[in-house]
Amino acid sequence: MAAARVFLVGGVISYRALFNWIRPLSYATTMLGIPLFQLLFFAYVGRFAGVRDDAFFVVGNAVQATAMGGLYAMTMTVANERFFGTLAPVLATPANRLALFLGRALPVVLNALAVSAVAFAAGLLLLDFSLPAARVPALAAVVLVTATATTGLGLLLGSLGLRVRDVLFASNLVYFGTLLVCGVNVPLDVLPPWLQAVGRALPLTHGVEAARRVAGGEGLGGVDGLLATEAGIGAAYALVAFALFRVFELEGRRRASLETY
Amino acid sequence: MAVIEAEELRRTYRTTTGALRRRTLDVEAVRGVTFAVERGELYGLLGPNGAGKTTIIKVLVTLLLPTAGSARVLGHDVVRDVREVRRRVGFVFGGERGLYERLSGLDNLRYFAELYGVPAREQGRRIAELLDLVGLSGRERERVEGYSRGMRQRLHIARGLMHDPEVLFLDEPTLGLDPVGARELRQTVAGLTEAGKTLLLTTHYMFEADALCDRIAVLSRGRIVAEGTPRALKERVGGGRVIEVEVFGIGEERVDALRAVGGVRSVAVEERGQVQALVVRTDAGVEVTPALLARLAGTTIGRVSYREPTLEDAYVALVEE
Repeated sequence: MAAARVFLVGGVISYRALFNWIRPLSYATTMLGIPLFQLLFFAYVGRFAGVRDDAFFVVGNAVQATAMGGLYAMTMTVANERFFGTLAPVLATPANRLALFLGRALPVVLNALAVSAVAFAAGLLLLDFSLPAARVPALAAVVLVTATATTGLGLLLGSLGLRVRDVLFASNLVYFGTLLVCGVNVPLDVLPPWLQAVGRALPLTHGVEAARRVAGGEGLGGVDGLLATEAGIGAAYALVAFALFRVFELEGRRRASLETY
Repeated sequence: MAVIEAEELRRTYRTTTGALRRRTLDVEAVRGVTFAVERGELYGLLGPNGAGKTTIIKVLVTLLLPTAGSARVLGHDVVRDVREVRRRVGFVFGGERGLYERLSGLDNLRYFAELYGVPAREQGRRIAELLDLVGLSGRERERVEGYSRGMRQRLHIARGLMHDPEVLFLDEPTLGLDPVGARELRQTVAGLTEAGKTLLLTTHYMFEADALCDRIAVLSRGRIVAEGTPRALKERVGGGRVIEVEVFGIGEERVDALRAVGGVRSVAVEERGQVQALVVRTDAGVEVTPALLARLAGTTIGRVSYREPTLEDAYVALVEE
């Protein structure tokens, strides 16, 4: 029971405490503004170059928008403990570590879903993109899986932030990297093999492909393999992230590195 | 059975210097410390910066592993029984950091109530009691970023007591507080011992230790150099006398020369604005003033005064030994 409360209630409180862009103005300009202009940018570049239709860029970028929450918010929600000097008080509690760690991901996933929904809405309103209402539930399910997987990668960056200063540089690198290697704006098959390999090892790639197929009319049953792969990749990142968190916690006790910043 | 026990506790930090030619340096912060704190006692750790006080507390609250030796809290080993220790102890580190700035004081406490597993139905009552105890009732819904240093410190204490721990560790809780805030906080601390808590306190303020602590251990360079009640420590330098001599610009050689005078136990130099005050502790019944003044010949001398030794004198004498 205590672990469940740490997961749910603790997760929400820590999200409010540590997510930098939670205030309405910074949320609107950063969490919503960046994905919106990113979507418009790639859609119009795509139109100008005549390489793909708007739907390709809307689905790709709206699903990739989950990375705004999944990567940035998740990184902050773990790594900012160090910035605020709250890491030691938190780690001195007997709280269940898995619940403490993963609980932070729940609000992040919900936020990522909301950001993606706004990006899809922008695509519907501003670009040549349509989506029959019947396909929305399946698409929402695909985005949920993708957002959760992306949050797994965000957890890993957050864990690194407990040891590495300025980890948001890494979040930036990964965020912009996903625009290239995850099939968001450039089809995977036009990339060199090594970049394709990188893309396939990251979350988003299989989720974006599944979202395009579902938006195109295919049912969830047709993309279950892609979703399972996406979920598996996210779980693997989350697992490594938790292992790293525990290693850093133990190393912090041994090397007095908990409060080094 | 003692509530807190440390036996030959040691902690070494390894630091590296240099970018290209990296050099590893081992710093012994705690060098074989042994002490025991009984139930309901308020035990003080006194010592200059770097004496090892905070390191000892961090080991006892399981944030650091000792390099050697052992420590137990309520019979639980701080290395092996980590969760058991964490359930039963609270700690308060001085300073302004360590709180969630964007949350209210109330939400800070709620969060730690969850982390310490305080049942949901008890949280409201417990938080209200603590806010009352530390004098933050009515301000709990304000964001911490707007709190004064004193309010933050009181919130730290409330957080440390959230799970009603049997043992509380306080690391310089009045550091940086104004006199009124510090006095209120001392009253809160005194109230905790009356409530039966066992407290381990570190402080730089001698009068604070004198007023609050049942027993004190004086730490110097990672070792306990004296332990006892405040009265017993004062008596260690008792029977002697303290001469304070105000001088203007004195070098280390002169101070060493004063230390060599027969009957002088110790000499400390305190900077007081433009003036340096030489605090000379002497044996009882020995007149050393003429010899001191002779060795200060050529130096501008201000006021010369005499007084009885205080706990601070005892502390300075002990850490200089």
